[in-house]
Amino acid sequence: MISIQQASKSFKETTAVDKLSLEVQKGEILGLLGANGAGKSTTINMLLGFLHPDSGVVRINDMDTSREADKVRKLIGYIPENVNLYPYLSGIENLDYFCRLAALKYNKSDLQEILLTCGLEERAHQERVEAYSKGMRQKVGIAIAYAKKAKVYLLDEPASGLDPLASNELSALLKKLASAGATILMASHDIFRVREVCHRIGILKNGSLVKELHSKDVSANELEQLYLEYMKN
Amino acid sequence: MIWSIIKNEWQFLIRTRVLLGLSAGFFVLLILSVFLGNQQIKHQTQIYQDAKEHLRQQWESIDAMNPHGAAHYGTYVFKPSSLLNNLDEGIHSVTGNVLKVEGHVQNEIAHSEASQMQTVSKFGKLKSSLILQYLVPLLLIFLAFHSISSEKESGRLKVLVLQGAKPLHLVLAKTISVCLYGILLLVFVIGIYSMVNFQSISTEVITRTSLFFISYATYYFIISGLTVFFSARWQNPTVALTSMLGIWIIWTIFLPSILMTAVEKWHQLPSRNEFKAAMKEDRSQGLDGHNPADERRKTLEEQTLKEYGVDSLSQLPINFDGILMQADEEYGNKVWDKHFGHLHTVLGQQKQSYQLGGLINPFISLQNASKGFMGSDNLHHQEFLVQVETYRRSFIKTLNDKHAFGGSKTGDWGWTADNAFFKSVPDFKYKQLALFSVFSNYRTDVIVLFLWLMMVCLLLMLGARKLQIV
Repeated sequence: MISIQQASKSFKETTAVDKLSLEVQKGEILGLLGANGAGKSTTINMLLGFLHPDSGVVRINDMDTSREADKVRKLIGYIPENVNLYPYLSGIENLDYFCRLAALKYNKSDLQEILLTCGLEERAHQERVEAYSKGMRQKVGIAIAYAKKAKVYLLDEPASGLDPLASNELSALLKKLASAGATILMASHDIFRVREVCHRIGILKNGSLVKELHSKDVSANELEQLYLEYMKN
Repeated sequence: MIWSIIKNEWQFLIRTRVLLGLSAGFFVLLILSVFLGNQQIKHQTQIYQDAKEHLRQQWESIDAMNPHGAAHYGTYVFKPSSLLNNLDEGIHSVTGNVLKVEGHVQNEIAHSEASQMQTVSKFGKLKSSLILQYLVPLLLIFLAFHSISSEKESGRLKVLVLQGAKPLHLVLAKTISVCLYGILLLVFVIGIYSMVNFQSISTEVITRTSLFFISYATYYFIISGLTVFFSARWQNPTVALTSMLGIWIIWTIFLPSILMTAVEKWHQLPSRNEFKAAMKEDRSQGLDGHNPADERRKTLEEQTLKEYGVDSLSQLPINFDGILMQADEEYGNKVWDKHFGHLHTVLGQQKQSYQLGGLINPFISLQNASKGFMGSDNLHHQEFLVQVETYRRSFIKTLNDKHAFGGSKTGDWGWTADNAFFKSVPDFKYKQLALFSVFSNYRTDVIVLFLWLMMVCLLLMLGARKLQIV
């Protein structure tokens, strides 16, 4: 599970995250909504162990992400907003390479199955990534995280650039992962997608969690109104 | 993991058309350089061989001649070209290749290859060493400068580290893969060279080429590692590229000239005029066979008369002129040894100081080692001159001894030795400098290159530790 307690992070005079506290339980999906600069990426980078909080504690499965970064990273699957792959490799070769780095041994059919599960059509598997659309690259990025059999998924705008069908497939996959016991934190601008996929939703503003609610308690329109209100104030 | 990263980097090299084209261009250049160099050396060797045989034939066809006259007639010695010079011709083309061996005088080597070339080609030919020392490192810089920064810029670095790639493994693998590209070109050159000269390959050639290979491989690692370090250290790839290009220019263009000038100022050689004047002065004090007033001649004359128990030169059973000329020769040799001994000492000091310059510029160490192991450096050149001078001394002594003890009497300048004698005078044979001697002379350069290698490894460790993932 993910646990952030009173974590703060500043860059020079700018406070990116300010006494942030949140928890995501096993099997749960938390959506973080927020404008650009709200602190979503900083929060994810602290969870990945790439940034250390100035104060407070950031934990994954009871391990401090700063002190036990290597151990923590083994549990995490991360999907950035822009999945940049090696353009001279095919989709399946990219997946194979990233799996090898993680010491995961899959044969070709396993890799193909993972790519299919993540929504990448079979005909694209052998194509070089330089010919891929953003959505296709995103699917390979998802496949890399999925292949890792991660316990925790951190997604930074994962549906950005995906067509509606691919977005739906991603939502379905995330739900499937959560129901299989994965802990998922998803930062996004996409209110409707967050409402649809996540169990809980948090609104981040100036590095603080200003609102937290269950998605079942609010409609998409209400969530949008709420979000806009917080952004205006 | 390192192997996976290297494999991925090589897929980039193999699958990128621009790089493939560039590599093909390099391969063509290297093939041309080896073939053209080989052809030139073989052509030159053939010319010298023909000339040498012709001169020897002329010498052996002397029917009857006064031995001292033959000493003035002299002979010519040609500096042999080794096929190893094809990989690095070093100073070979500018030092001269022909030396006249005669009595009374130690001639300077003349007819350098450069002096006989067309103006344009004087300033640089297509040589393997030019490509391996200047162009390949430049190519490695272009391959490596964006290696880590591109991963950072694209955001892949985060995913790579998250997947378990250690920053140190990343920088090492990137360095090795770029370095391997340089080594591939190096192996290609040596492979082509070996194929072309298959019949001339000996243990010595293999050992020298192996040392040559090690020096270059080490230098390529230094260049690749330093570039990868800059790529890891600085966010902006342009800064990494500019820094490495600056270093390349300083290392290859400015520092060698600056250091050589400093070393020459520090350990000064006399000017040619000063040197010649000093030699002339010392020589003029010596015995002169054509100057009976010379005091040394008188001393020698008295000693010789006493030795043979006679009162006058005409009573001597031998030809005093031969003894006199040999004594003059030996005095001349002493003058030569004194002045050239000093030159050798200064040249040695210059070499040692210049070698230490490798501590701030490994390119110097590479060049020294490359020339040294390929036998085209000043050490081999000086060794050739020493061997020629040793031969000259033995050659002249043989002729003077014949003049003195061959059966003639003092003043009998019309006396001649027969053809059998001239045939018996041995020809010059160059003996290759012992490999141990070469290695001990270039030990400093090899050590300096390894010091640089270790320093680059430390920098890579530092770069990996300080690598900013986000």
